[in-house]
Amino acid sequence: MNYYEIIFYVFAVLTVVSAGVVVFSRNIIYSAFALLFTFTGVAGIYVLLNADFIAITQLLIYVGGIMILLIFGVMLTTNVTNVEITTQTLKALPATIVVAIVSALLVSTMVSTKWAVKDPISVESTTINQIGELLLTKYLLPFEIASIVLLIAMMGAAFLARKN
Amino acid sequence: MGINYFLILALLLFSIGVAGVLLRRNAIIVFMCIELMLNSVNLVFVSFSSYLGNSIGQIFVFFIMTVAAAEAAVGLAIIIALFRNKETINIDEINILKW
Amino acid sequence: MLTQQILDGLSKFYPETILSVTILVIVFVELFFKKKTRVSGWIAMAGLAAAMLFTFLQVNIPAQTIFFQMVAVDPFSYFFKVLLILSGFLIVLFTFLSDEIRSSEFKTQEYYALLIALTLGGFLMASSVNLLMMYLALELSSLSSYVLAGYFKKSNRSSEAALKYVIYGGVSSGLMLFGISLIYGICGSLDMFAISAYLSANPVNLITLLIAIFLMLAGFGYKISAVPFHFWTPDVYEGSPMPVTALLSVSSKAAGFAMLIRFFLVAFQNAGHPTITTEGLHQYITLPGLHWPEVIAVIAVATMTLGNVVAIWQDNLKRLLAYSSIAQAGYMLLAFVVVSPQGISAMLTYLAVYLFMNLGAFFAAILISNKYKTENIEEMKGIGYRSPLLCVSMAVFMLSLSGIPMTAGFIGKFYIFSALINNGYIWLAIIGLMNSVVSLYYYIKILKNMFLIRPQGDTGAVSFGAGYSVLLLALAIPTIVLGIFFGPLTKFAEYSVQIFGLK
Repeated sequence: MNYYEIIFYVFAVLTVVSAGVVVFSRNIIYSAFALLFTFTGVAGIYVLLNADFIAITQLLIYVGGIMILLIFGVMLTTNVTNVEITTQTLKALPATIVVAIVSALLVSTMVSTKWAVKDPISVESTTINQIGELLLTKYLLPFEIASIVLLIAMMGAAFLARKN
Repeated sequence: MGINYFLILALLLFSIGVAGVLLRRNAIIVFMCIELMLNSVNLVFVSFSSYLGNSIGQIFVFFIMTVAAAEAAVGLAIIIALFRNKETINIDEINILKW
Repeated sequence: MLTQQILDGLSKFYPETILSVTILVIVFVELFFKKKTRVSGWIAMAGLAAAMLFTFLQVNIPAQTIFFQMVAVDPFSYFFKVLLILSGFLIVLFTFLSDEIRSSEFKTQEYYALLIALTLGGFLMASSVNLLMMYLALELSSLSSYVLAGYFKKSNRSSEAALKYVIYGGVSSGLMLFGISLIYGICGSLDMFAISAYLSANPVNLITLLIAIFLMLAGFGYKISAVPFHFWTPDVYEGSPMPVTALLSVSSKAAGFAMLIRFFLVAFQNAGHPTITTEGLHQYITLPGLHWPEVIAVIAVATMTLGNVVAIWQDNLKRLLAYSSIAQAGYMLLAFVVVSPQGISAMLTYLAVYLFMNLGAFFAAILISNKYKTENIEEMKGIGYRSPLLCVSMAVFMLSLSGIPMTAGFIGKFYIFSALINNGYIWLAIIGLMNSVVSLYYYIKILKNMFLIRPQGDTGAVSFGAGYSVLLLALAIPTIVLGIFFGPLTKFAEYSVQIFGLK
């Protein structure tokens, strides 16, 4: 095992274990904090994949933004001192079986599929230049539409969350 | 290191997210599980993007993150509005309408 | 060169630009009209009218893509733009006339901005030729519909509906994204033309492709509420404000269908092979070995059967209309199975007809709940004698939805079934016909309660203002007229089958 693989496994284990905690923890605060580690783990994998820009964005948007939003949601809707809200699992067995079968199927097809990829990872010093250029040329329209999406979300969220 | 390692990691994350959506009853946790699913999709996109050597996948991820933030904001606003009315966010207790 | 291309794109993007500007204007005007007024509603109408005007100006533009192959301007998207504007316009009028919204304590300016945003999202859904653009358009329309569904934030039912909607929406868009990511991995591109070129030239793992298609169908199926992605429909339709329900059942469904048709036909066409004519039938040639029409057929049959069978047991009018709209989506999907221009034009005809009859049914339901304060069918006994105009119009809409001759619904169904029979799908046509018979039962049940049972208690006549009657007639008359003079509509539908990138 070289360093690359060791780092991959460290981040992969961090991601999967903390994701498991998110789903199976009885305490919603633990779930929220475990999600923080999942996001960080995924950011680490992005770095391994040479996606520096996306890794930074992941930290800023997910860890810095969405995470805070979720924690605020938890705090506003539950009494923080009493975190024992009922989160019993229902229909656990059938759901688990379905998920297990589907993921086994997906893994087997994914491994056997010939993707349009060329090994190994093409190394560029940074992806930011390319992404920035594409966003303002070929992907100009999605970029602009994304601003409308954000405007609508902001308006809608502000409307729904304010008292009157 | 082949792309399959990354894909299987993403798939594990996706399955955990789907399992959470199916198993958990707390709306905020379900939202967290949806975020897990989106993260796994992002991971697939970034892996393909790196191995293909084109940045389209990374641009897609950029937009997914934007929309995920928007969706989380709207979803939590709805949860707060509902909580004001009912003081519960447990999906099973939301039962005026049949689930 | 780059600037030139962007400017050229902008000059063919006026309808969408106008809608975006309308959203901004409504947001700003809100600052100056703190009191509850209809100003933002009128601005929304003006914006829609202007967008309609500029859409009409696009009628003779040759089919092309703009903004570096992001969206297509072609007769197909033109058809849906007209449909979406018409529906948006009618919904604004419904909102003006709905007691439910008028009596609510909320200002309505956000409401209209969201309505326009939903329409804009629909425009882009109908014209996207890039999967990234498609996803953003879908989310634009979804996000605005989540907020609209929860617009009565003081009402439990409305907030609950919004929560269910947003959770199901989030999950299905997650599944769809996973499908898109697999397609990106297989083809290395997000552009529908590039996808079709790659798939036609290279051998790919068809099972993976089929899995990707299934995952993507979660996103499409959620928008058009097809089985098994329909779970949200009855609850959201029941809990949302009635005009919003009408909007979801028409605009968002039509846009979902547009996206579905364009994606499947363009991305999975056998590139390089022109569509051929076999035995006088023009048929799209899709990738060999990829059996997506069969998948659609199964979904279509399941959707209409489930919708019709479950609708029989409903006694809440909104829930009944929800299941009825699920069943209607099933009929439209049937026409898609044929994968020929004839099938697509039958689908488009049906969508146009569906706009009038379904919006009409919802408007009648709004009026009933305004005046009689009930959504329960059992409590509608004898109201046919108390408000004849309303109930006769309701009868027209119900008969049209079930497909009785002399109504527009019959023409829609006739075209769908003849497309099926022409292409040898006789079994599907028979299943569709049997479903129509089943649906007759619950549509007639409403009419039976209205007309055949004498009212008890209060029997005084209940009448409406002139505005209500005019709007009711404006929906009921086309429903009958299109059943008799259907030539122009079917011509328009046949013209609109031209999808950019397909010969």
